[in-house]
Amino acid sequence: MIVYTLFIVSLVVFAITQVLPADAAVMMLGENATDQALEALRQQMGLNDPIWLQYLHWLGGILHGDFGQSLRTGQPVGPAMLQALGRSLLLAVLSIALMLVLAIPLGVLAAIRRGKLADMIVSLISYAGVSLPEFVTATLAVLFVADWAKLLPPTGYVPLTENFLDGLAHLILPVCVVSIILIAHVSRMVRSELVDVLHTDYIRAARLKGLSTSRVLFGHALRNALLPTITVVALDVGYLLGGIIVVEEIFALPGIGRQLIVAIQTRDLPAIQAGVLLMAATYSIVNFAADILYAWLDKRIQYD
Amino acid sequence: MIELLKRLLRTPQGAVGLVLVVLVFIVVLFGPLLAPRDPEAMSILARYKGPSASFLLGTDQYGRDILSRLLIGARSTVTMAVFATLAGTFAGAFIGTVSAFLGGRADEFIMRTIDAIMAIPNLLFALLIVNLLGSSSINALVAVAVAFAPGMARITRSVALAVRKQDYVSAAIARGESSRYIILREMLPNVVAPIVVETTIRVSFAVMLFATLSFLGLGAQPPATEWGLMVSEARQYMHLSAGILIWPSLAIAIVAIGFNLLGDGLRDALNPRTGG
Amino acid sequence: MTETANNTVLQVRNYSLDYLTASGAFHALKNIDLEVGAGEILGLVGESGSGKTSMAWSIMRYLPSNAREVGGDIRLRGEDLTAKSPTEVNCMRGKRISMVFQDPGTSLNPTLSLGTQLTETLRRHRGLTGKQAWSEGEAMLDRVGLKSPAEMMKRMPHEASGGEKQRVVIATAFACNPECIIFDEPTTALDVITSRQILDLFLDLQAETGVASLYISHDLALLSRTAKRVAVIRRGEIVEQGAVDAIFNAPQHDYTRQLIAAVPRPSDRLTQTRPSYQDQPLMKVENVSVHYGRKPFLSALTGRSFEHFAGNRAVSLSVQPGEILGIVGESGSGKSTLAKAMTGLNPFEGQMTFAGRTIAGLADMDRAYRKNVQMIFQHPDASLNPRQKIREILARPLKLYGEGEGSAMAQRVGDMLEQVRLPRTHADRYPHQLSGGEKQRVAIARAFASRPKLVICDEITSALDVSVQASIIELLLELHREHSTAFLFITHDLNLIRQIAHRIAVMYRGDLLEVVPAEDIISPERADYTRRLLAAVPTPAGASPAEADL
Repeated sequence: MIVYTLFIVSLVVFAITQVLPADAAVMMLGENATDQALEALRQQMGLNDPIWLQYLHWLGGILHGDFGQSLRTGQPVGPAMLQALGRSLLLAVLSIALMLVLAIPLGVLAAIRRGKLADMIVSLISYAGVSLPEFVTATLAVLFVADWAKLLPPTGYVPLTENFLDGLAHLILPVCVVSIILIAHVSRMVRSELVDVLHTDYIRAARLKGLSTSRVLFGHALRNALLPTITVVALDVGYLLGGIIVVEEIFALPGIGRQLIVAIQTRDLPAIQAGVLLMAATYSIVNFAADILYAWLDKRIQYD
Repeated sequence: MIELLKRLLRTPQGAVGLVLVVLVFIVVLFGPLLAPRDPEAMSILARYKGPSASFLLGTDQYGRDILSRLLIGARSTVTMAVFATLAGTFAGAFIGTVSAFLGGRADEFIMRTIDAIMAIPNLLFALLIVNLLGSSSINALVAVAVAFAPGMARITRSVALAVRKQDYVSAAIARGESSRYIILREMLPNVVAPIVVETTIRVSFAVMLFATLSFLGLGAQPPATEWGLMVSEARQYMHLSAGILIWPSLAIAIVAIGFNLLGDGLRDALNPRTGG
Repeated sequence: MTETANNTVLQVRNYSLDYLTASGAFHALKNIDLEVGAGEILGLVGESGSGKTSMAWSIMRYLPSNAREVGGDIRLRGEDLTAKSPTEVNCMRGKRISMVFQDPGTSLNPTLSLGTQLTETLRRHRGLTGKQAWSEGEAMLDRVGLKSPAEMMKRMPHEASGGEKQRVVIATAFACNPECIIFDEPTTALDVITSRQILDLFLDLQAETGVASLYISHDLALLSRTAKRVAVIRRGEIVEQGAVDAIFNAPQHDYTRQLIAAVPRPSDRLTQTRPSYQDQPLMKVENVSVHYGRKPFLSALTGRSFEHFAGNRAVSLSVQPGEILGIVGESGSGKSTLAKAMTGLNPFEGQMTFAGRTIAGLADMDRAYRKNVQMIFQHPDASLNPRQKIREILARPLKLYGEGEGSAMAQRVGDMLEQVRLPRTHADRYPHQLSGGEKQRVAIARAFASRPKLVICDEITSALDVSVQASIIELLLELHREHSTAFLFITHDLNLIRQIAHRIAVMYRGDLLEVVPAEDIISPERADYTRRLLAAVPTPAGASPAEADL
């Protein structure tokens, strides 16, 4: 399944990028290059081959770990992208961790106090979170926290290996911004799932057995409500990746998002292809893992 | 129609959402008339001003009136988002319904492919398409529409499948009704409602996506008054006047929240059982 | 018979309950007086909306936030439950008074093992440790008749059958030796034979422990065989209360009489017509098999098990013109599958012959076939398109079969409504504005629009109240007499089918076991399964002695 996905993704990416009007050879040699030189380079890069042959060459290269050379820097694309991906993954993992820590308790609180003040407040935060694009939250965050309150450094990146605390300080804002949409979305999901579960016959039966409230909530309700959350979180990784692109741009973090933006702006074909492929691969792998986890847990539990 | 409006106004989400969206549409339609000043009129002396009687929301880095820019900008931001969503919905709904109707292996194949395409995050997909077509508002619209289509296909298909399982569809098949009748008269009216809800909510995503594209310089180009673009331009000058940044952000948020709430309200109002 | 004060376990005195709704206060229960003594079974019978479930919730103190107790009290061994605090109530539930629910499939948590759900009450109320509770649980499962109790403790709900799950639920209810147990329709969701087994188990345990039982049901026949005393509830009021024999043999109140009359009694033959068996059969089904299910290719990857649904295996039967053929069987017997094959909803192998024409598949089912073979479904909510008005729903078959145009249509729709005894004004309504019985009448009108020769009824009254069922059956028989329509009547209610069918077909797990004339169904020559089925079905008290011996 995952193989099929990646195959389709590679097709889509290749199709979209290879249909570009920009001539790769012109980009590399400049506008003033002679026709002969251009033709020679085209020949060398295989740009005159039929599309499907080019695709196979490209695919073959990738399967060997060779992503081609950047049209902008001339360096191999692979290593740079992978390194950038690593940095983005750090951001992603921290965001997800923050999200889990906040979203689940918020969702539970809203579900238990349904209709009351706590629920309304959480709902409000949810709506707001889901309605603000990352670039708005990021920019506002930089404005308020970094510029006005001067609490945290505004932009820039410091590797954690160099200076842990400083590196962390630079990451706090980006992580928070990326998490906001996730928290809003997941807490809403958790609330909705928990409310549904709390209305089931089996929760009613558990209550009427005289079990304590905490036992009903944690031993029965929560474990059932959280299972579908796995799927939702996996799907949200898609939004997460989108958010990362924007956030890295605003906070000047050298992650894969930033690389992609630069690649797109400079029409650096191999870099674009590699970047998109890596992002899609990450998303697919995460979803695949979530599916396996869900299926494994679910095998013990089939619903009638 | 009147019935629907009444039911919509009964829930808080529906009421607030409707009010906000109506306001937005008024601005879209009458923006140029309501705007007190020319959005492109620059004035060196009037830069970075805070809210005042002559400039209700203040001025930006070129001395242009923010309020006027916002009002005009509603046109590009909102109409683009709405059209993009509608286009994506039609394309996606068509694919989804056909897939559900075909069933079997064809359906599985189509859906697996759709799932695979959806492995590319929305924003990324839109970026690629804009990259392909060139940076402009229209191209951003196409990009957003194409990015949304797979998601809508998925949703339409699952709704269509659920409807197909209902006994009244079985009854129609047992009566010997033609496929065309079943799809159009039995299934579609029941499929349309959830799709309308989903589409409305997606408009808010489209607004945000569109604004993000413009923010990244890949959508609307200066001196357009698109809100995302305004935020992007404001970044350099925000410490000189926070208003340049805050008002467009607020505008985006209000529109997104409005459509979101309206979608939620419609969900209840369109259900023939709970709406009554 | 009055119980002395110290023998009364549960006592409800002059209890009234309201629900506050947007349109004012709804009086759910009005001045209820009930008493259950130690070792006694009190049956509470009512149709939907009667308030019997509200009564159960009130006793268990599980009321929604818009409930208002307007007066009276509920006493458990003299203690007023309405005065208890939430903590006291929680202590009491499961320990002094417990409940058995209708559907074991939904009242057990699908993610916890059966053993866990059984032992949590033991640990909570009897203070046992984990280990003690577990072995005690095993002992209880043994007591309720489950084979290999140790293994059953570890199983998850989806790995046990409906009957097995309900035994676990009953074990849980009895686990802490409560003083009183409320049974809310505990056998309604189970098959006929399993129901009987559960009922026997319940009677056994009840006799042994002497627990006071409040048995709520809509099934009069069942209650007449189970309870000692019965209370009839209607629209929140107890209409009549007394010993079972008295109620069934000499009902005082009109409603009780009506209710008892509506219960199907095999001895009350309703169909007077007799079809001719000399003529060519109207519909002949020869060696029809239906196979279900296609394994999705991902299931192999995730290792999820895949169930094949019961289809049909080489089923052969025939229906004479004007005959009512009953098909009985439990769930999974394939009776609905066959009906769906006959209307083109399932692909099948084999051959069917209708009025001389061969039908080998969907392609052969042309307009003439469709006009003459109609189907009515079980769930009235699902079989009418919620977005169409009744007028549209009824006009459609007329249009489709080319039987009417334009203005005459409105008249015809009105006539159709009248034929099923509904007011003509219902044409302007939407399905959700009609009651279950009314919707089913519309479905019947729709089926009869083209004056079909054969109508397939797939459990059409199973989802309805017994009095509504009686009126629907009456309507069907009237139409049968008027138009000499043949029926293929599918049901699991043996008593009902014996009243109306000319012949009865018995199905089991996809196979057709036998087809016999209705009066021969009780003959000892019947197949094993048929006799077991008959033995499991309670016939109502007050029936003739010949029937009562079954």
